[in-house]
Amino acid sequence: MAVCIAVIAKENYPLYIRSVPIQNELKFHYTVHTSLDVVEEKISAVGKAMADQRELYLGLLYPTEDYKVYGYVTNSKVKFVIVVDSSNTSLRDNEIRSMFRKLHNSFTDVMCNPFYNPGDTIQSKAFDSMVTAMMVQAS
Amino acid sequence: MAQCVQSVQEFIQDSFVPMVAVLCSEDAEKVTRKNNLNFSELLRPFCRLTSEGHMRDPNNQVQVVKNLRISVNNVVTRPSVPASGVPGHAHRRLLSEVVLTCQPAEGGVANVITAGDYDLNISATTPWFEAYRESFLQSMPASDHEFLNHYLACLLVVSSSEAVPVEKFLKLSQEQHRIQHSGEYTNPKWFIPNTLKYYVLLHDMSQGDEQRADSVYEDMKQRYGAQGCYLLKVNSRTAAAGADEQIPDPWSQYLHKSSLQSQDQYEDPAPVVVNDTAVENNVGGTSEVDGHDSEEKDGVLVNSLDNTHPLQLDTPSDPPGSLDALRAVAVETKPPPVATGMAAATSHGACLTLNDHDRIRLFIQEFTFRGLLPHIEKNIRQLNDQLVSRKGLSRSLFSATKKWFGGGKVPEKSIAELKNTSGLLYPPEAPELQIRKMADLCFLVQLYDLAYSCYHTAKKDFLSDQAMLYAAGALEMAAVSAFLQVGAPRPYPAHYMDTAIQTYRDVSMNMVLAERCALLSAEVLKSQAKYSDAATLLIKMTSEDSDLRSALLLEQAAHCFINMRNPMVRKFAFHMILAGHRFSKAGQKRHALRCYCQAMQVYKGKGWSLAEDHINFTIGRQSFTLRQPENAVTAFRHILTNDSQQTSTQQGAFLREYLYVYKVTHLQY
Repeated sequence: MAVCIAVIAKENYPLYIRSVPIQNELKFHYTVHTSLDVVEEKISAVGKAMADQRELYLGLLYPTEDYKVYGYVTNSKVKFVIVVDSSNTSLRDNEIRSMFRKLHNSFTDVMCNPFYNPGDTIQSKAFDSMVTAMMVQAS
Repeated sequence: MAQCVQSVQEFIQDSFVPMVAVLCSEDAEKVTRKNNLNFSELLRPFCRLTSEGHMRDPNNQVQVVKNLRISVNNVVTRPSVPASGVPGHAHRRLLSEVVLTCQPAEGGVANVITAGDYDLNISATTPWFEAYRESFLQSMPASDHEFLNHYLACLLVVSSSEAVPVEKFLKLSQEQHRIQHSGEYTNPKWFIPNTLKYYVLLHDMSQGDEQRADSVYEDMKQRYGAQGCYLLKVNSRTAAAGADEQIPDPWSQYLHKSSLQSQDQYEDPAPVVVNDTAVENNVGGTSEVDGHDSEEKDGVLVNSLDNTHPLQLDTPSDPPGSLDALRAVAVETKPPPVATGMAAATSHGACLTLNDHDRIRLFIQEFTFRGLLPHIEKNIRQLNDQLVSRKGLSRSLFSATKKWFGGGKVPEKSIAELKNTSGLLYPPEAPELQIRKMADLCFLVQLYDLAYSCYHTAKKDFLSDQAMLYAAGALEMAAVSAFLQVGAPRPYPAHYMDTAIQTYRDVSMNMVLAERCALLSAEVLKSQAKYSDAATLLIKMTSEDSDLRSALLLEQAAHCFINMRNPMVRKFAFHMILAGHRFSKAGQKRHALRCYCQAMQVYKGKGWSLAEDHINFTIGRQSFTLRQPENAVTAFRHILTNDSQQTSTQQGAFLREYLYVYKVTHLQY
């Protein structure tokens, strides 16, 4: 169960950010933005590795004291970032990967929409509902 | 970390220097007072030796001692900083004052760093951090577990106009003995039971009888030996003589800091507003008077602004409160400038010619090479002999007892050592402490190989005795001496430093020592280009108890990120924002504004609107309280012109704030 999910365009501006506890939204924005540094480092390190499902998943980017940040990059350099609560230790790597796969699929659907201009923020309700399903239920 | 003026070696060597105490008679004081200086201040600019000294280590090899600096201080029997691990109030104020008065020059040197698609205009140096570091290290209290801050020698100064100088010398000598051995004073601390005493006859050229001075000096040489005394002639001209030649005044830079220190000790802080930051703001003697009165009112403002999380925008309920506070700032008419009289332009050294400067320089050189270095050498030799003999004895004892008690538990070593905890105290003559003393002596005179091996031995002893504080000290110094060893036979043991820092923080609760460790280690790592390690280390040291320290360390960590081979620009920006927040909590408004502006360069126009709005809002607020309303208006305008993603209440709050600032700005014209 994620605490914050973000989709970031190739030019490093956010296409979509959603976080659950609304009052700390700014903090998540900053965390996601800073994690982009780590993403870029990993992308450049991988070099010329071509499309392989495994390469797209970047794994744990960095842990902070409360949260863990995971990254995933597509072939068109669109990045997905998921922030998860650290106390939630039951979340395994496979679950994160499946979350990313679902995100990727929904994102592809959004791109397939002929009325969607690449580079706009994502307004799709279907995408929204998929993301809500993945987030921690606000109590 | 930003580039510093000094190289790593210079910095570390300057942090640990041989300490010399000064005891002056009243007449001698009067002589130096003509220059508006006391004796130790008189010597201070000349304390860096330009020539090289030679020392023999216990193996009788000659080592060259380059660029040595000594530290000369008056004997102060009152501790300036409490011996506990928490810096006292006056100490904190001194440090914040130092940082406050060191601001970046307007339009100063800026680098353009290009990283990816970011072009940043930031300055590569942070002089305020160096100023902070220097005064922090200078004001560290002397502690029992290490001997680097202990006085090695004492200069006894008597004026030649004394009736019977010899008697005066005797009195001073007894005084020093009393201070050291009577046990009344915990400060200052002395290195060895027989401190070196060096007798200085101070002769005033403008009003003394030179013949008499020379004859007294001859007498002294008979008594104390030619190596133990000196005739220093000063005051070759009277103060009334006009300034025909421009005599350089090297004292002003050293006096600024020390007068701040003495002022803090004598002044009572006027309790202005509730919280601590306001008291810090209210120290007498800021160099900018304008900033002074706005900071007084800022006490109230700071309270309402910064109790929030650094990354949180104020909820709508906050702005009315802070708007009122802003109003209060604007409405207050400027009270007349508070003249604190500190930076008064008194001239120093008015009675000294260039010849006198040379004589003083020569005096220090003579003292160091003829008095101090041989004394140290003798002591190193003595300790080394003790060590070698004891090592032989104790080793055989230890193995014997082990044999008798068999394997399993290590037998109790000997009498007084209790088990565990940081409360373990060694008696002053304990062999482990002798090793530590010897190691410290070697370190102070740059014999790093010998120092390293002694520290290593000491560390093993302390660890086996579970004396954690001592062990941490030994670890710290072992790491530093390994780094400074010429020819670097072993790599820098960063894990020693990490263990030491951890021990200081957790076991001994001594943040001051931990901070010193962190500063040294970060500097070393930076010189080895291990920037991410340095950054991690610095960030770990930030904590809730000291805002100023956390702010400075966060800023340095940000610079580390930007100096990496692949600069992590966003991390730099993020840590700058955190640093800016801590700066404003610590009452350093200008620094806070600077940090936010630098971070803004990274976030500008990149589409992270929430973050950008937050920074603009904070910049606007800070600019307004610093009396830069145009900047404030521009910053606020940015928030309003972007299509905002904020909630409607938030936008309402922004709009209100903007209108208020705009109104105030334009009312003034």
